[in-house]
This record gives sequence, C-alpha cells and structure tokens, in this order.
Amino acid sequence: MVLNLDGSKPIYVQLAEWLENEILNGHFDSGQKIYSQYQLAEIFNINPATAAKGLNILAEENVLYKKRGLGMFVSDEAKSIILTKRRTQTLTGLVEELAAEARRLDVSKEELIEMIKGAMTGGTEE
Amino acid sequence: MNVIECKEITKSYGRVKALDNLCCTIEENKITGLIGRNGAGKTTLLKIIAGHLRQTSGEVKVFSLEPFNNLTVSANIIFLHDQVNLPTALTLKEILQTTGSFYPNWNHELANRLFNYFSFHPFQYYHGLSKGMKSTFNMILGLSARCPLTLFDEPTTGMDAAVRKDFYRALLKDYIEHPRTIILSSHYLDEIEDLLEEILVLKEGKQLLHMPVAELQDWAMTVQGKAPVVKEWTNDKQIIYSKKVGDDQMLTVVKNDFSAKERQLSREVGIELSPVTTSDLCVYLTSKSTGGIDDVFGQHDDDGGH
Repeated sequence: MVLNLDGSKPIYVQLAEWLENEILNGHFDSGQKIYSQYQLAEIFNINPATAAKGLNILAEENVLYKKRGLGMFVSDEAKSIILTKRRTQTLTGLVEELAAEARRLDVSKEELIEMIKGAMTGGTEE
Repeated sequence: MNVIECKEITKSYGRVKALDNLCCTIEENKITGLIGRNGAGKTTLLKIIAGHLRQTSGEVKVFSLEPFNNLTVSANIIFLHDQVNLPTALTLKEILQTTGSFYPNWNHELANRLFNYFSFHPFQYYHGLSKGMKSTFNMILGLSARCPLTLFDEPTTGMDAAVRKDFYRALLKDYIEHPRTIILSSHYLDEIEDLLEEILVLKEGKQLLHMPVAELQDWAMTVQGKAPVVKEWTNDKQIIYSKKVGDDQMLTVVKNDFSAKERQLSREVGIELSPVTTSDLCVYLTSKSTGGIDDVFGQHDDDGGH
C-alpha cells in the first residue's frame, strides 16, 4: 500500500485515512496497539513527525488513545466514530460534487437517482 | 534546543548581497529542507554554518559557538556538496577509512554496506567518478559519519531516479535509528518533502518562510473560475499568484483562510477551490512577480490586440 503522494491531500491526512481503513477492515481491533510513528515513517518513507501528526488527528477524534510510554491503542468506539464521520463528511461531500456534475451535464434528478440505484445494486454496466 | 541561530547575517560578494539580514533558527534533531531559487543564498548560508565562510555582518551560532575557524563546530559537522575537496592520491576505500578517523560516530559497517550496494570499486579514485557517482559517494560519507549536524547541499546532483530514491530511503532509515539535525537543500522539493519535518524557504538572501511541512501543505489554496467571481472572492485575501486561463477564466493562489461555509458556498457560485502542492507553492512564493513567466510575455499580448 502506497500513499497517493500527488499532493491532493496532506500526507498526514492520507495517513490518518489509511489507518482508519485498517481499523474498518478489522486489521486492528479495539484495544489493540496500532503502529508507532517510527513504524509508519518506515512503512511510508515519511518523516516521523508527519506520521505523529496523522496519529494525533485520530487521537483527537478519540479513534485512538494514548497510553503513556506504551504507544497508541484503538478505542472501543473507533469503528462507529469513523463510520459516522465518513457518512457525514466524506459521503455528503461526494454527493454534493455528484449533484454539481450532474447539473453541468444536464442530467435530471430522476436520471441521477436511477444511476445511483443501478450502482448500488451492482449493475454498473452502461 | 536550537542547533543553529542566525541573527541578521549579511554576506556580500562585492556589491551583490548573497544573504541580506537573514534571521533563522534550526532546531535539534529535525530534518529541514532548505529551499530557494538559484542564487537565493542557500549555499552561502550552508557555507557560513559550516564555518567555511565568514559573514560580512551579523551573528551566527552553531552549537552556541561561532562556526568560523572553530574546531569543535567543525568536528560536529559534516558538509557535503558537489565541490568537496577529497584527496586525489587516495582510493575510495582509503578515503572512507580516513574520513572515519575524523568522526567519532562514524559507522564503518554502514559505510561498507552502502559502498558495496552502490557497486563502488575499492581501488577507484574519486576524481574518476561520474557526477552521479560522486554524489552517491558523498552521500555515503554524509550518512556514515552520523554527525550531530549533517549538511547536504544539492545531494542528488547527477543521481539517476533510482539512486535518488535509495538515498531518500537510506537517509530516513538512518535518521530514525540515529536522530540528528539534518539540513537538505534541493531543487526537487516534491521528492524530498515527505522526508522533511521543517521547510525553510529563502528568497533573495532573506528568510521567506519557515514552518512545519505539514502546515505548508494546507497553507494555500487555488481559486479557479470565472474571472469576476474569482476577483470578488480573492480581493480580501493575500494573493500569491494569479493568471488568466483562456478568455474569461482565472486562476488565483491565495493564503488559505477559507471557512467551511465559504468552501460550501464556492461550489454553488461555480468556483473551484483546490489545494496547492508544496513544490508549486514554493515556485509561486519565490517568483519575482505574481504572474510568473507569463508577465514577461503579458505586455506583448496586450499590445497585439485581439
């Protein structure tokens, strides 16, 4: 797994999202110790301070918690916090973009809804 | 703790000021990128820090000491650049051994491993190496010395892409194991920015900006859309760069202080806000005019009539 280093998002944000995915995938359970800033720096070839910033974002959101001298651990509520955040922020943003693009292309509301329905049921061809 | 403190240093070469009242500090055990256009004063600054040059005026402290002609400073610094004077009578292997005897933290095993990895020959001479191989050899010296203060001036000159990548990885790995203060000047900011903790940008001999790289990554924003709307949106902001795109579109880079509400509103009025890559931002910041090279051709365009 390589971060997208094209600069569209700061690296520490991408790193935080990557860690969130690892938690959602179940690679890290609640109560489990997550990678240290040095391990992350080594994995992604980034400065350890940048890696720490990614971890701190998640600690501020209570996805992770610190144990003094031991490192960062996944909190009990981690998954639900991530899911709520993604639904309210990421998904809403994507939907707004989708609606804007549809307006630009003169796609009607009904057509767009049909397309979404199609995509949700997996029938994405044509 | 600050390893380097520069107060109002000026360095003049004849009538030209390479450094002009520069103030900056470098903190301990951080990797700092020294960025600037050709002639911004990067090399002069590094030479003064290393004690190779004396400033015309101002005060420089390295490990709280004046670096010029100072043995203590010199023993704790390794400065690598493309004009390093290495003895022509010694083979590469002998240079490694000699350099090792100068530096207390020198790691011979690391030096040998890198030496073999990059396929150097023990009996080669430095002056017979290609430009890229010279840079690679310098890198081996710089990393193996494990000096408390390591200065790399354009370390990747002449290296091919694969070696550059290896160099960045080697630097980072050794830094994680043995944290130390490293300054790296480079033209390839996009390649090194992930390695850096801090970025120090020089322009015309002055410090333009010094901040954590992570902050710089969302420090500016591109505003793109119809010219009148873009103008309206950016007139109360600090404009860093601006250019016309096509007939009625405009692209302006401004300091990012947009609120979440403004971001949302931007979509409705048909304006696109997007982040600026750090290396683009540095090009904009260090350019002499806000329109860049287009300004040079701009006048001609206006005269020509449409």
